[in-house]
Amino acid sequence: MTTAAIPPNFWTSTRRSFAATIRRDGFGLLAMIVLILVILGPLYSVVLWAFAERWQYPSLIPTQFGLRYWGETFSRADILRALPFSIVLALVVTLLSAVICLPAAYAFARMKFRGRQLLLLSFLATNAFPRFGLYVSIAVIFFRLNLIGTVQGVILIQLVNTLLLMIWIPTAAFQAVDRSLEEAALDVGASPLRVFIQITLPMVMPALSAALLLTFVNTFYEAQGALIVGLPRVVTMPVLMYSLINSQLVVQYGAVVSFVLWMPSLLLLLVANRLLRGGYLTAGFGV
Amino acid sequence: MFRRLFSNSLSQVKTRRMTTTQAPTASFSRKWRGAALAYLLVAPPLLLMVLLIFIPALQSIARTLTISVDGVPGFSLSRYTAFFSDPISVNNLIFTFQVTLLTLAAIFVVCFPLALYLRFSSGRIASIVQILALFPLFVPGIILCYALIRFLGTRGTLDTVLSLIGITGYRTPYLKPDAIIIGLVWEAIPFTVLVLTAGLRQVSDSLIESARDVGADDWTIFRRIILPLIARPALIAFSLNFLGIFGSYTIPYLLGPAAPQMMGVFMQQTFGQYRRPDEAETQAVITFIICAFIGFLYVRTVARQRITHEKDE
Repeated sequence: MTTAAIPPNFWTSTRRSFAATIRRDGFGLLAMIVLILVILGPLYSVVLWAFAERWQYPSLIPTQFGLRYWGETFSRADILRALPFSIVLALVVTLLSAVICLPAAYAFARMKFRGRQLLLLSFLATNAFPRFGLYVSIAVIFFRLNLIGTVQGVILIQLVNTLLLMIWIPTAAFQAVDRSLEEAALDVGASPLRVFIQITLPMVMPALSAALLLTFVNTFYEAQGALIVGLPRVVTMPVLMYSLINSQLVVQYGAVVSFVLWMPSLLLLLVANRLLRGGYLTAGFGV
Repeated sequence: MFRRLFSNSLSQVKTRRMTTTQAPTASFSRKWRGAALAYLLVAPPLLLMVLLIFIPALQSIARTLTISVDGVPGFSLSRYTAFFSDPISVNNLIFTFQVTLLTLAAIFVVCFPLALYLRFSSGRIASIVQILALFPLFVPGIILCYALIRFLGTRGTLDTVLSLIGITGYRTPYLKPDAIIIGLVWEAIPFTVLVLTAGLRQVSDSLIESARDVGADDWTIFRRIILPLIARPALIAFSLNFLGIFGSYTIPYLLGPAAPQMMGVFMQQTFGQYRRPDEAETQAVITFIICAFIGFLYVRTVARQRITHEKDE
């Protein structure tokens, strides 16, 4: 027979096991507490501000919750214009990047040609410059070509950012495909196109979708290139954030926009585990 | 019908293979054509990169070194002497260096213990620590800035918490150099931890155990086994973080002081506000020159890493 009552030494044993955890993993526990405060603390403020109608100091949570500022934020003309424009722009850049880079990635993975390794490594150049200096250099050329303040200019400067990721991830994926499967299909009479669609493509699909997703999200948040090339006529959502932050008349505008802008990133968070296991998150740095 | 079509193509494949092995001249021309096709396929992204990275950079370098007198271009360092004789410019450059080095030091102090911990522990706490350390990957820079202002600013969350537990007189780092460093470290944690942990995973448990069996202590294991294996990932993390910080704009612009400025902010002001592209270009080239060695280090380290990997496979 077992008793359901709390054993007499419950509290001492709990205390003892807690002490044991600290002894065993004290560093982990400390790191966890510090990281929770430091990483989640700032985000806590933004999320709550987005749903606050009033928040008086010194209160830990808003004094009055409400959605009033959501309506106000989304009746602002600049936001209504910039949000759809940013989404379309990021989609266009991602699509163009795919059209330009994916055939090249296939060639890098499958074809033999002189200088293959060197050319593949040359794409690291996109990371090897101090980013903003490079943007200024590009902007000076665009200035002479009258591309400042044009959508084409913004598309071009954002495309540069996508190259490394859109070439390295798919190249690795095409290289990893088991060639014997393709050859077996060819041997039983499938056409090369059919082999590509039915065998190669499904095997590289996870990597390709990771590359597309990362490119879309990175482009959507790209603010610096768009700022220096796009202003004054082309205003993307992240660029608009600069002015919302600087002219903090209403705190909630920035908070609501941050919250909405964050959505694509949460998309990434959902597939984070898969991205991490595939090594795609660091591939963008050429590692 | 379909079956016959497939068997046809099958026989074609076979005959094609036979001709390639039997006729060297034909195979040579096929090979050549294959290479031409490959170059055609890799040309568009390469062209884009050459047009938008190499040509602007080289042109900027060339233009900042020339001056035209009566329409005749000649070599001149006048743009650089102008930069280095302007105290504001020099101050900004020194400030950028200081922030970069301090931030790098802070990044390694934070990330190295985290990476070591994540490599050698398992369990629930370790996985929570990992999730938290990688979380900033999913927070875009501009949202981070807004969040840090609300968190660190006067009457922000931190201020509130401190005053609730009785600590008053909080002085905010917002609009001071400290806030730049905090923001840049926050942003760099996930990438650095990922790269360092990946490097540490190359150290196998059995290697460490056998070292311990022959009497090596923790410090010897760290110095003789872990350190050499992690040198390359650490170098990648160092160089990429250096370039990222030196070329940063958003965080120093939104969180930092109005003066001195980091080079990114300075350049944007010169180009965008004052509309002086020539001066902005000189500032840009100066950052190129300073970062050239680090950029080279980064490319070389990644290249070596890849070549070793390909040999392993």
